[in-house]
Amino acid sequence: MTGLAADVRAPALPGFPRPRPRPRELALLAAVILALGVGSLSLGLARTGRLEPADLPGLALFAGGLLAAHALLVLAGRRVDEILLPAAALLGGIGMLVMERLPQDLVVQEIGPWTLGLGDLQLVWLGVALAVATAIAVALRSDRWLRLYKYTWAASGLVLLALTFIFGSEVNGSRLTLQIGPISGQPSELLKVILVVFFAAYLAENRILLADARVRLVGPITVPPLAYLAPIGAMLALALGIVVVQRDLGAALLFYAVFLGLLFLATGRRTDVVLGLLLFAAGFALLALFFPHVQQRIAVWLDPWADPLGDGYQLIQALHAFARGGLVGTGLGAGLPEIGGRLPIPAVHTDFPLAAIGEELGMTGVAAVLAAYLVIVGRGLRIAAAARDDFRALLAAGLALVVGVQAAIIAGGNLKLIPLTGITLPFVSYGGSSLLANAIVVGMLLALSDRGAAPLAPPRPSRLARLRRSPGGPS
Amino acid sequence: MDPGLNLLLWVLRLAFLALLWVALALMARALLRDVRAASRDPAASLGRLVVVASSGQPAAGAVFGVDAVATLGRDLGSSVVVDDPYASAQHAVLTFRGRAWYVEDLRSTNGTQVNGAPVVGVAALAYGDEIRIGDVRLRLERGRG
Repeated sequence: MTGLAADVRAPALPGFPRPRPRPRELALLAAVILALGVGSLSLGLARTGRLEPADLPGLALFAGGLLAAHALLVLAGRRVDEILLPAAALLGGIGMLVMERLPQDLVVQEIGPWTLGLGDLQLVWLGVALAVATAIAVALRSDRWLRLYKYTWAASGLVLLALTFIFGSEVNGSRLTLQIGPISGQPSELLKVILVVFFAAYLAENRILLADARVRLVGPITVPPLAYLAPIGAMLALALGIVVVQRDLGAALLFYAVFLGLLFLATGRRTDVVLGLLLFAAGFALLALFFPHVQQRIAVWLDPWADPLGDGYQLIQALHAFARGGLVGTGLGAGLPEIGGRLPIPAVHTDFPLAAIGEELGMTGVAAVLAAYLVIVGRGLRIAAAARDDFRALLAAGLALVVGVQAAIIAGGNLKLIPLTGITLPFVSYGGSSLLANAIVVGMLLALSDRGAAPLAPPRPSRLARLRRSPGGPS
Repeated sequence: MDPGLNLLLWVLRLAFLALLWVALALMARALLRDVRAASRDPAASLGRLVVVASSGQPAAGAVFGVDAVATLGRDLGSSVVVDDPYASAQHAVLTFRGRAWYVEDLRSTNGTQVNGAPVVGVAALAYGDEIRIGDVRLRLERGRG
């Protein structure tokens, strides 16, 4: 019944859209750019001893890109959210400063005549991400094509993942990278967005059945009818299976957590979440029994000092970095001493940017980064609460959860709160796939937050009709 | 580095952190304002009925906020007065029970349809579904909450 739901699209304004000023966004962007400018000055001064920004052209390009995105959103005239873009820009800007500060030869790519280092590449990807987010926010109007083709989306995502598994190149013992021509990327980043779309579409369609047509399991414990849980369960199992075999444990954890969150939002049943957590514990125990690399991760988490120069090295160095940072950090460019000409933390630019932030900006800086994620998640849930129908609500909540849960998993891993799994810190980590996937998330959240044109007043009956209706004539 | 520059560096470092938090505080203020404005919104309701098509009253484009129980019909005491020649006085009732919306046909003369299918007794509704009474089509949407 619900599959036939009417096409929900933003009401079209007649003619060309009228520009709509967004003063709140402009003010927030100005505050973010000001903060980043001061940060860049502090990095430049620490590095060269002269009062100059570390990378003036880069900073100017980033600020210009943000203002251009703002201008485009103003011109598009849609009533979309004004807080998400500045919050994401704050995280992206901190990430840019960190990448500029790290040794530039961590990643080097030659594109045409230019040889780009870490900071330049991150800047290029930030620009691409900004363009993608803005384009989606301006152009995405109907959600019909997302909702109707949910199985196509999910299948294409899984095919992409399977291709990576077969043809992918191996980095650090896991096959996560797919190379097509000169471009290489991590499809599991994109898969997280596709899975959220599928989960939201499926749960929105079957929400009432899953919530109210319960099957008794044991005593008072009920579960949703299994026939209606099977499609989504199969999709989840396939995605989890592939990423677990690929040893991408972080992605597996992320997918499962987001699925449970969305299931709870859709059905409102706490027992489902409890059962899901029990299933998770059982699955995790099985994994730990059969996969040695899972055992190794747990052992490192419990006691990294058992093997300080081998398995535990990365985590111990990160913990030292956090400790050296203290409350306000050493300042940008003054931390991260090199050991034998190399940075202490391996893979600091992808998996441990939080440790670099923790050392140079201290606990205050780490808390600021986490607070920015909180703003994004809170905003996403607000957008979900104000959405017009179940699909849009679940989609917005799922997208917000993806960012929040991913940040929590990697931050917890870096801080030795939970076992470390190698996923990126959204918006901050170096990497095109990660930035692009998170840009799609922000763009879709912006498009979903569109409140449409102000509702038109219902047409009044003509003067003649009103005269006829009132028996006493005009009063 | 001479002490003056050292002091300047120290100031810049702390200013960077302070400005990060100023930006975040501005965002938090905007968030709070938004939440407060939404809670003050007089039009806040559980759901909304949007008139998609209509022969007379209510006119197409009109929006009604509906709460847990809303009656539909030609009777002037109905929550949503449907003034259509094919509507009964007490035509249907729309309820929100626990987790889902339901529409119940009150044995009206000409029946109620949901997405084109006639309602027998009670039918579950999801947001985006269309109720049809006579020539009036109403779409259920989430309330502004």
